[in-house]
Amino acid sequence: MTRKAEGFSIVLASALGAFGVTLVNFANSGTVDAQTALTFLVFVIAFGGLYVAVLTWAPRSSSLLLAPVAAITAIGFLEVYRLDPVRAGLQRWWLLIGAAVAAGVLYLLHLGSTEILRRYRYIILLISVLLLLLPNLPQDWAFPLKGLEVNGSRLWIVLDTGITSLSLQFQPAEIAKLGLVSFVAAYLADHQHALRQAHRKIGPIRLPEPRQLLPLLITWALSVLILVSQRDLGASVLLFASFVLLLYATTGSAGYLVAGGVLTVLAGFAGYQAFDHVQRRVAGWLDPFANFEDAGYQISQGLFALGSGSLSGAGPGLGRPDLIPNASTDFIFAAVGEELGFAGTVAVLALYGLVVAVGLGIAFRSRTTFHKLLAAGLTFVFGVQTFLIIGGVLRLVPLTGITLPFMSYGGSAFVGNLVLIALLLRISHEEAR
Amino acid sequence: MNGPIRRLAIGMFAAFTALLLAVTWFQVIRADDLKTDPRNARPALSEHGKERGVIVASDGTILAQSVSDPDDALAYNREYPGGAAFAHAIGYSSFLLGNTGLESAYADVLRSRRDLTISDLVGVILGQDLRPSSIEVTLDPELQQAAFDALGGRRGAVVAIDPRSGAVLALVSSPSYDPHPLLGDGADAAWNDLLAAPGSPLSDRASRELYAPGSTFKTVVASAAIDAGVAGLETTFEDPVEFQLPGSTATISNFTGRVCNDGTSVTLLRAFVVSCNTTFADLAIRLGATDLGITADALGFNRDFDFAWTIPQASFPTAALADDAAALGQSGIGERDVRATPLHMAMVAATVANGGQLYSPYLVSRVFDADGNATESTEPVELGRAMAPTTASLMTQLMERVVTEGTGTAASVPGVRVAGKTGTAQGSGEFPHPWFIGFAPVDNPTIAIAVFLEGGPDLGESVTGGAVSAPIASTLLEIWLSGEQ
Repeated sequence: MTRKAEGFSIVLASALGAFGVTLVNFANSGTVDAQTALTFLVFVIAFGGLYVAVLTWAPRSSSLLLAPVAAITAIGFLEVYRLDPVRAGLQRWWLLIGAAVAAGVLYLLHLGSTEILRRYRYIILLISVLLLLLPNLPQDWAFPLKGLEVNGSRLWIVLDTGITSLSLQFQPAEIAKLGLVSFVAAYLADHQHALRQAHRKIGPIRLPEPRQLLPLLITWALSVLILVSQRDLGASVLLFASFVLLLYATTGSAGYLVAGGVLTVLAGFAGYQAFDHVQRRVAGWLDPFANFEDAGYQISQGLFALGSGSLSGAGPGLGRPDLIPNASTDFIFAAVGEELGFAGTVAVLALYGLVVAVGLGIAFRSRTTFHKLLAAGLTFVFGVQTFLIIGGVLRLVPLTGITLPFMSYGGSAFVGNLVLIALLLRISHEEAR
Repeated sequence: MNGPIRRLAIGMFAAFTALLLAVTWFQVIRADDLKTDPRNARPALSEHGKERGVIVASDGTILAQSVSDPDDALAYNREYPGGAAFAHAIGYSSFLLGNTGLESAYADVLRSRRDLTISDLVGVILGQDLRPSSIEVTLDPELQQAAFDALGGRRGAVVAIDPRSGAVLALVSSPSYDPHPLLGDGADAAWNDLLAAPGSPLSDRASRELYAPGSTFKTVVASAAIDAGVAGLETTFEDPVEFQLPGSTATISNFTGRVCNDGTSVTLLRAFVVSCNTTFADLAIRLGATDLGITADALGFNRDFDFAWTIPQASFPTAALADDAAALGQSGIGERDVRATPLHMAMVAATVANGGQLYSPYLVSRVFDADGNATESTEPVELGRAMAPTTASLMTQLMERVVTEGTGTAASVPGVRVAGKTGTAQGSGEFPHPWFIGFAPVDNPTIAIAVFLEGGPDLGESVTGGAVSAPIASTLLEIWLSGEQ
């Protein structure tokens, strides 16, 4: 795709979002209002602005990323708008903020190239761990930055400005995950030879010397521990899976995949034994309809939504995705399935598949190890997260309660994922010489 | 390093393929099951607020209609001007509780097909009418309301049928409920209140609850005996104080505790008119379960028939009674395991009134499209001949004498010849159920009726069908016959 076609596609995606909003309004009230124009304008400013930033600071980057991301965002936005117009209004602000931050990242990397990520890897690690720790701040102290517990998970921080409407909520893990991937990519790039050559054989499984792995393991144990203490199952599974996949990518020894799989099963089993909320979640996953009254309710409603949507969907604003608890975050995919049908869900899966394929293609063609690992790691985070949440809705895996990139309502997630795309763009720019 | 990345890319591809297969499974292969799962509220919700067709009586009285919501130009609210008296028959259409009664049975006719979908658009282009159709019911609003008032909140039911066609003129269950609180947002609370309310107002005692018919079942036994040639009106029976059931220590005595005639002999006529238990226990055993079963089946027992909703089968367990004479004797007076709904017993009366021809009961006479053109009209369906016309005419004589000089005198209507049979069914409970079934006028019957009250402390232990149910029948027959002129 040429840059010109990319720009045209972004305008099309913006029109798609605006058209969706129009249909939702028409279905609800029989009228069309300024929301249509406002949505179009915000999409064009956000994605168009980012497009201009890419043209200016990363002109040789892949032209296949921004347009599918804009289309995914547009489809997600129309469902968020349909479910909760107030949240959609906030999400529009996050669109602008996310685009500004991503453009800022592109500018910084233009000044210093991705080499700064490698050079300052320990500072990035420190910041990431601190970010992960932030939600454990007290909820009720005088300092304006406070932790916040939502639905039993402690993932949020609030910047309390004293004015309720202006206090900012943020999920720092969404940014921290990028920092951690960046650090791990840098670390593995430094130690790849040692990791690949210094083996210790335990049966058929070849593992590197503990000395090589120790810092990494400690770091990861720490971050996973923090995430579990904040009861964010989805993010810890995501980070652990991405870590294992990166180790495998570096060393090529399948032992890591096996060990990672065994560790995941063991942790899952221990979690199942230890926590009843995990047991309920598993029961709701294995047989949602038998547990319809409690643990299976959300999944059952999600499946009803998908089935009711059938091939062509009820149409924007004409289904009842509001019957699904947390439809605008965890279950946005089911909402799309209900209102846009099988056609819509296949389109969404194809767009995600495209982003993952382009991301892996960037990794594949990168010449420097760091770029290769960073691009692969970022793509794994994106792809695994997408698989975990959609697979959770479709009962392939237990529901982990993480957001669907670019579709779910959520500001920090949107900003984080757009920065992820900006990093991929920058890598592809630097590698295209 | 590209080797592992390539393999991981294949893994990612496999994972996304799994997602694609899973979404195909739920949205294509299993879509219909999920869509129609009873726990999926979407189908009911999609009907909510849409216009539904009118349910109207033949005299033009509106029993259900959709009116525009004053707060929302696009929405409609359902109204039931008939209120509680019609609640069990008309039913309700509630987005939380679903549809019941005729609202459920005719949901496909009454619903709007305007779903704003692409297939709608195609339908309109092809000339389909997406507006809801309306139905006309056979119920007589005045009679229905009068029957509800006559029951006065007591637990019971009234069913009236036009014997010439099977058209249901009244189908009342009491106590009842106002359907409107079940429609809106507080529906679940209103529903729970009704579940806890005394007298279980949600049960439909007219057509969906089975009760022992008691002595009204003697109509079936006498019909079977006369039709089989086992007895005539003047056939005499012994007249004991107690009838000893064969092969059993149990006895059957009469309601009064005395003999029915002179203590020596009693005719079938006299036994029917005073509702003599000893005679009918004897007669049922003489007749045999097989012959009695044939007539019972022909009168609507042990069978299903098409109705707006599923009617539980009235039971006369012929096979079980064939080699149990004692049980057969008890069944001959409508006790033991004999069970019927008031609708079934009204059908028995209607069949005698109609010369022995049984009609399938029906509630909806016509279906109209949105322009008021009748698109369907119900033709009466004969379910078969239950007895010879001569038998029916003898039975009419018996039943008329019940009202002129027997247990059912309270059912008489001045200037009209009324036929009927009382019943005071012991059933399985502590308190007896008073019954009356009958029809009028005798020479050209236009209405058959069953009046049933459920026994309980409110009615007491010494209540009888002749004292409690027959007067209600009298009132209703008079209203109907005066309205006919």
